[in-house]
Amino acid sequence: MKRSAPAVAALAVALTGCAASPPLAEGLSRDALRSIELSATPFYPQEEYQCGPAALATLLRASGVDVAPEGIAPEVFIPGRRGSLQVELIGATRRHGRLPYVLSATADEMVAELAAGRPVLVLQNLGAESLPVWHYAVLIGYDAGRNVAILRTGRTERQEVHWQRFAKTWHRGGRFAFTTLVPGEVPPHAEASRYVEAAAGLESAGEHRSAAAAYDAAITRWPNESRAWLGRGNVAYAEGDRNAAADAYLRAILLAPEDAAARNNLAQLLADAGCADEARNQVDRATRLAEGTGLAPAVAETRATIKSMGKPATGCALGDRAWPD
Amino acid sequence: MRTERFRRACVALVSLSLLSLGMQAPAVAGVIGTSEAIAAAQDDGPRAVVEATLARDDVRAKFVELGVDAAVVESRLAALTESELQTLADQIGEAPAGGDFLAVVGVVFVVLIILELTGVIDIFKKA
Repeated sequence: MKRSAPAVAALAVALTGCAASPPLAEGLSRDALRSIELSATPFYPQEEYQCGPAALATLLRASGVDVAPEGIAPEVFIPGRRGSLQVELIGATRRHGRLPYVLSATADEMVAELAAGRPVLVLQNLGAESLPVWHYAVLIGYDAGRNVAILRTGRTERQEVHWQRFAKTWHRGGRFAFTTLVPGEVPPHAEASRYVEAAAGLESAGEHRSAAAAYDAAITRWPNESRAWLGRGNVAYAEGDRNAAADAYLRAILLAPEDAAARNNLAQLLADAGCADEARNQVDRATRLAEGTGLAPAVAETRATIKSMGKPATGCALGDRAWPD
Repeated sequence: MRTERFRRACVALVSLSLLSLGMQAPAVAGVIGTSEAIAAAQDDGPRAVVEATLARDDVRAKFVELGVDAAVVESRLAALTESELQTLADQIGEAPAGGDFLAVVGVVFVVLIILELTGVIDIFKKA
C-alpha cells in the first residue's frame, strides 16, 4: 500500500506533462517544405549512455568534420552522470571548428535548418517530468502529410515518430536544439545577437580562425552590430594584426560610444603599439564607462598596467588615426 | 587488441594536444573577450566576471569527482564561455545529462510500462 504512493505521483505528473500540441501541418508556415529527409546523414549506433557523443558525431560528420563518437566521448561524457551535458556538446562543437547555433524554442527554426540541409540535434525527455530519461537524438526530416518526425536515434538508424509525440518529448526536454554551422554560414532566420554570441564562444575557446570567419559573416549581414566589430577586433588582436584590430575597435566605438569593453581593448592595443598618451586617454574613458558594471575590475586592471608604463622608446605604431573622444 | 591499444594511444594524444591548446586559450591579458562583454551587459553587476574564476575551479573539482579524466578536464573547460561555466557550476549535479539513464525498480517499473503502453512516455521505444 505504502509503495503505491510514488507510482500515483509519477502517473499524475506524467499526465500533466501531456500538453496538446498541433499536428505538424497546422504549425508549418506557408513557404515551408511539406516534407524533407536528409537521408545522406550518417548514422552511429550509440553505445550504452553514449547518445551525446553519437548525436554530436552525426552532426559534425554531416558538416564535414572527420570524427567518430569514440573520439568525441572523452570530450563530453561524464561518467558520474552517465551522460553528457548540453553546454559540453556546445563546447566540443567549437573545438572541432564548427559554430554551434542554438535554435529558438519553436519548431520553425528546426524546419528551416532541415531545409538548409543541416540535421538538428535535440534533447528529449523520454520519461516523465519527475522521472526524466534524457536522450539526445538527431532530427533528419519530417513528413507533414503523414504527420511524422524522422530521427536518427539510439540504435535505430531511421525512426518515424508521430509528430506530436516527438514535440512532447522535446518540450519536456526544455526545447533544446542546435545545429553545427561552418563558420561563415549564417542561416536566413538567424538573429544578430544570438549569432554574435555564438561567434564569441568560438573566440573564447581560442578558435580564432573560425571566430574570424563567423564575425566577418556577421558584419556582412549586420554591419551595424557593434559587438561583431568588437569580436573581429579581438580576434585580429589575438592574431597580432594591430591595424585590423584598431580599425575594428574604432568601428565598434563609433556604433556604441558607451561600450567600455571596446574602449578598454583599444587602450590596451594602443599601449602595446607604443601610443602611451592616447592609451591613457582611452583607458580613462573606459574606466568612467565601466563604473558600476561587471567590467569595472577588468578595466581597472588595464588602467593600472597602462599607468605604470614608462615612456616608450619608439613612437606610436598605429599611425594618424582619429581616436574617439 | 592491437587496434584497441592504438586507438587508446590516439585518444591520449589528441587529449594532450587539446590540453596544450586549452592552455593558450585563456584571454590575452588586458583585452576583454566578447563573451565577457556580453555577459557583463546581461548581468549588470560584477558577479559574472568576478566569479568566473571561482566557477572554473568549482567545475574542475566537480568534473574530477564525477569521474572525468583529469587529463582532459582543462581542455573541456577551455571550450566554454564564462557564463556557461557559471551555469555549469550552479547545476552540474542536476542539469539534464542526455544518456538514457534510468534507475528504477519494482512497482515504478510496472507503472512505466503502463504509461508507455498508453502513450504517455517513450522510454522503451528508441532501441
